[in-house]
Amino acid sequence: MPLSVSLSIKGDTTVIELSGELDAETAGDFHQTIEKAAGHGSTTVEIRMADVGYMASAGLRSLVFARQKVADNVTIKVVGAIEPVCRTIRTAGLDRSIVISDE
Amino acid sequence: MAELARTPVVLEVPATIGALGDIAAFVLRLAGRAGLGRRASYRLRLAVDELATNIVMHGYRGGDGRITVRGRSGPGGVQITIEDSAPAFDPVAGRLPPCPGVPPQDRRIGGLGIHLALTSVDEFAYAHRDGRNISTLTVQAEGTDPCPPRP
Repeated sequence: MPLSVSLSIKGDTTVIELSGELDAETAGDFHQTIEKAAGHGSTTVEIRMADVGYMASAGLRSLVFARQKVADNVTIKVVGAIEPVCRTIRTAGLDRSIVISDE
Repeated sequence: MAELARTPVVLEVPATIGALGDIAAFVLRLAGRAGLGRRASYRLRLAVDELATNIVMHGYRGGDGRITVRGRSGPGGVQITIEDSAPAFDPVAGRLPPCPGVPPQDRRIGGLGIHLALTSVDEFAYAHRDGRNISTLTVQAEGTDPCPPRP
C-alpha cells in the first residue's frame, strides 16, 4: 500500500501527516518531507500517524534522521500511532527522544 | 506449536524492494489462514519484511538474485522459511541490539531491522546449506511479548 505524506505549518508547529504503509519502498517520501520540515524552524514537529497501518525499520530510520536534523530543543511528537507502530518505536528506544502521544 | 500443514505454499520473487509487497501479501494470507490476530499477523509480517529487506539491501546488494519464501500454517501458528543464495549471513550474529549507553539519535540504525525481526517471532533458526541462507521463523497466535524490554 502506498504512503501519502502531507506537510503544513500551524503556528510554531510543523505538521507531517502520514497515511498508508511506511516501509523500505515508501520511506523515501517521508524522509524528503522531514528534510523540508527541518528547515522551517518550528519548535515542534508533529508527525501524525493514526492512518499508518504498518511501519518497518525504514520508518525508524526516518525518525532518527528527523531527530538528527532538528535542533535539540525542538520537540518531535508522534501522534496517534497504532500499538504495533508504538512498539516498534519503543523497541528501538526512540521514545527517549521522541514524544509518543495519543492525540 | 500447533500442527502445521505438511506441504508448504511457496512464493519465489526477484530480490528487489518492489517485491516486498508481494511477500507481505503472501505472509498475511498465511496469517489469515492460521487465524492469527492482528498483533501476531503484524509481528509475522514485520519479521519477514525485515529479513527480506536485509537480503535485498545487504545480501545481494542490489544485484540480481531470488528470494524463496515457504509458508506452512496451522491452527494458531505460522512457520515461514526464507531462502536466498547471497553470501552467508546469520541474522542472529548480525543482530545489532540498540545500545543503552548511546542516545537514540546517535545510534547506528543498521542492524536494527534484524533486531526487530528477532524480537517479533517466537522461534528463529538459521542454517547455511548448499550455498543458501535458510532462515526459519515461527509466530504463534499468542506468543512473544508485545513490547520487549526497552534498551
